[in-house]
Amino acid sequence: MADVGELERLLKPVQALTPEVNVDEVARRFLLDEHRAFLSLPVADAAGQPLGLISRYRLQDIFMRRFGRELWGTQPVSEVMNPAPLVLRIDTPFEEAATQVTTRLSYPVTEDFILVDEAGRYRGIGTVPQLLKAMEDRLVQRNRALHRTLEDLKRSQAQLVQSEKMASLGQMVAGIAHELNTPLGYVGNNVELIRALSEPLFALNDALARLAACLTDPAGDEEAVARAFEAAEQARREADADTLADDLRQLLDDTGYGLEQISELVKGLKDFSRLDRAPSDDVDLNDCVRAALLIARNNLKNRVEVRQQLQALPPLRCAPSQINQVLLNLLNNAAQAMDGDGVILIKTWAEDARVLLSVEDNGKGMPPEVLERIFDPFFTTKPVGEGTGLGLSICYRIIRDHGGSIRVASRPGRGTRFLIALPLQRAAHTAEADSPVDAPSPREAEHV
Amino acid sequence: MSEPRPPIRLMFVDDESRILRSLALQFRRDYEVITQNDPQLALETLRNERIDILVSDQRMPGMNGAELLARARTLQPASVRILLTGYSDLDAAVQALNDGEIFRYLTKPWNPQEMAQTIAQAAEQSRLQRAAPPANDASASDAPTRNVGILLLDSDPVIEARVLELCALGGHHLYRASRLDEAVALLNREHVDILISDLRLGERALSPLLKSLAQARPQALTIVTTPYQDTQALLTLINQARIFRYVLKPVSVKLFERALHAAVTQSRHWQLQPHIAVPRTPEAPRDEQERATVNGLVGMLGRLRERFASRL
Ligand SMILES: Nc1ncnc2c1ncn2[C@@H]1O[C@H](COP(=O)(O)OP(=O)(O)O)[C@@H](O)[C@H]1O
Ligand SMILES: [Mg+2]
Repeated sequence: MADVGELERLLKPVQALTPEVNVDEVARRFLLDEHRAFLSLPVADAAGQPLGLISRYRLQDIFMRRFGRELWGTQPVSEVMNPAPLVLRIDTPFEEAATQVTTRLSYPVTEDFILVDEAGRYRGIGTVPQLLKAMEDRLVQRNRALHRTLEDLKRSQAQLVQSEKMASLGQMVAGIAHELNTPLGYVGNNVELIRALSEPLFALNDALARLAACLTDPAGDEEAVARAFEAAEQARREADADTLADDLRQLLDDTGYGLEQISELVKGLKDFSRLDRAPSDDVDLNDCVRAALLIARNNLKNRVEVRQQLQALPPLRCAPSQINQVLLNLLNNAAQAMDGDGVILIKTWAEDARVLLSVEDNGKGMPPEVLERIFDPFFTTKPVGEGTGLGLSICYRIIRDHGGSIRVASRPGRGTRFLIALPLQRAAHTAEADSPVDAPSPREAEHV
Repeated sequence: MSEPRPPIRLMFVDDESRILRSLALQFRRDYEVITQNDPQLALETLRNERIDILVSDQRMPGMNGAELLARARTLQPASVRILLTGYSDLDAAVQALNDGEIFRYLTKPWNPQEMAQTIAQAAEQSRLQRAAPPANDASASDAPTRNVGILLLDSDPVIEARVLELCALGGHHLYRASRLDEAVALLNREHVDILISDLRLGERALSPLLKSLAQARPQALTIVTTPYQDTQALLTLINQARIFRYVLKPVSVKLFERALHAAVTQSRHWQLQPHIAVPRTPEAPRDEQERATVNGLVGMLGRLRERFASRL
């Protein structure tokens, strides 16, 4: 900090009065132009040691008394001055000087303060209004710096939110891509099989056509017809039409089913991935749950059993993509809280003017000191690379932007339950897409 | 000359029954096909019936494929095991290789022709393995055997210390190389049964060497030690280099020792039964350029094959 030298700038090198100067003379000096700006004048001895301050206010006080001037006018100033004024070394850091001055400040302001050098010798005086002005300048400056820092923070937070979003998006795409491989596997294989199985049918068709040609050929001889019959019979045996029909039907059914699965997955991807989709008026929260489960399946499959108790819900105004992100975060956290197998229970229900959703797991739970901080941005108990610590802070913000609340209850070794309540009617303010301002404080978060 | 060969019994395990139907239809003409969509039931079948080839999905409720394959290896060591999965999952691949000694790691969706080819190779492998009794400690313990030759292409101090200790205790020959050409020369000159190798030697990538070694000298057992967590790389090493074990760095001493021990046991076993040269058929590299590199190296290793063949 460039504090040193700051008081120097406030320094007014006013000629100090000697202690013998009388009060009348002091009054005269106050009237001089060069002293107009000062509330007080310094008094110092011959060696330059400051002795006190005499203020206009004090003089006024004296002269207004009956016979004040007559009684005190010829007295030396040392008799009436303030012998213990505020004295500051010129190299006092500004902050400290400001604190000293302001703590001694009385209203009305009647005095200035004395500035001395390292040896304590008088150098000049400083005035309170100037000091206040300097403080104000500094505040403005500091404010500007704070503002810049805030902007920087916002920007980097936005980037982090983006990267958390990208992380969940990436995870989701990878999950779906893998999920597609199973139906693609049998659909592709089935198409090859159908091709191979239909070959004998084409052959049979050809043989029958030849037989028909023979039969209708007026010039056809018996032997040719017999040969054609034989060939057709052979083709029929090879085609093994009975089992073939069953196989083909089964293969076609399975293929159709696989294609449906594929389009469902692709649709899920599409629904889910519109992360910036505007809020919409009639969202069924249960659809969000189903979409998130489809996406999370990759992380949950086999290890975790998901139970759903979804009750019919009234339509909700919300940004589905954001709600999906919340759900995905909660599901991933729940899955990550389990060492081996586990159960996640998702419930939705409607109550008064709210829609409620709970995600409950029987994972490892959290001790109170963790629970207290989980909504803090960057708070994570997971190893680097696994946890960003942003998931729940983003969830919190999204739910708050929707005018709802998120609560959590947890018991170590038993499990964790998140409860989200979303109001059906919401105040006019809408859920902005990812404004990275105000991270939640844990105290704002409700705990149950 | 060809007596009728007993049919190969092929079991597919997958929790998606449409996969099972499709594969059963594809293979029922050439094999005796069994399908299971529950890994527990598959295990039951493995306890009660001979299975020559086991093809399992990875992600299934109750038990994952890698675990099923590992248990199948204990129950039926002579079975040929294949993982067929739509997910790339390094842990599963490592477990399937190290504990399940899988023959191939296949991915969904698969190419039907390639799948048929792989199953045919697996059937061939199975016939050879059926003919040979399995490796185990008992068969290897007292019988007089040639010392095992170990080539170390890795300078990790932990690995080095373990290998030195093993060689001192077991009287094995230890060879070392710090350049690819040295390694090739050593492989040609010396009798190397076990190769312990990182995927890089100085500036050079070693996977082409490993792939060509798998072709030129199928009985050499490779333990790959690497810091890279790359499922795709592991997949090609399993399929094309027929590696024996895959140990991630920094190595766990216990895992590495177990891999070493298994390799020594296996090579002793092969030494005892030189007449059963089990070809651990590798898949050819798909990329043209890589195939050329590998073939070049196979040429360089060719002399070794001749030498080895004349000795048998
Ligand atoms: N369902 C849960 N069970 C146990 N702990 C949880 C659960 N959900 C969140 N937590 C704790 O809260 C922390 C913060 O979660 P989050 O903000 O999603 O960040 P991250 O998952 O990246 O660590 C986690 O590191 C974990 O300790
Ligand atoms: Mg999280």
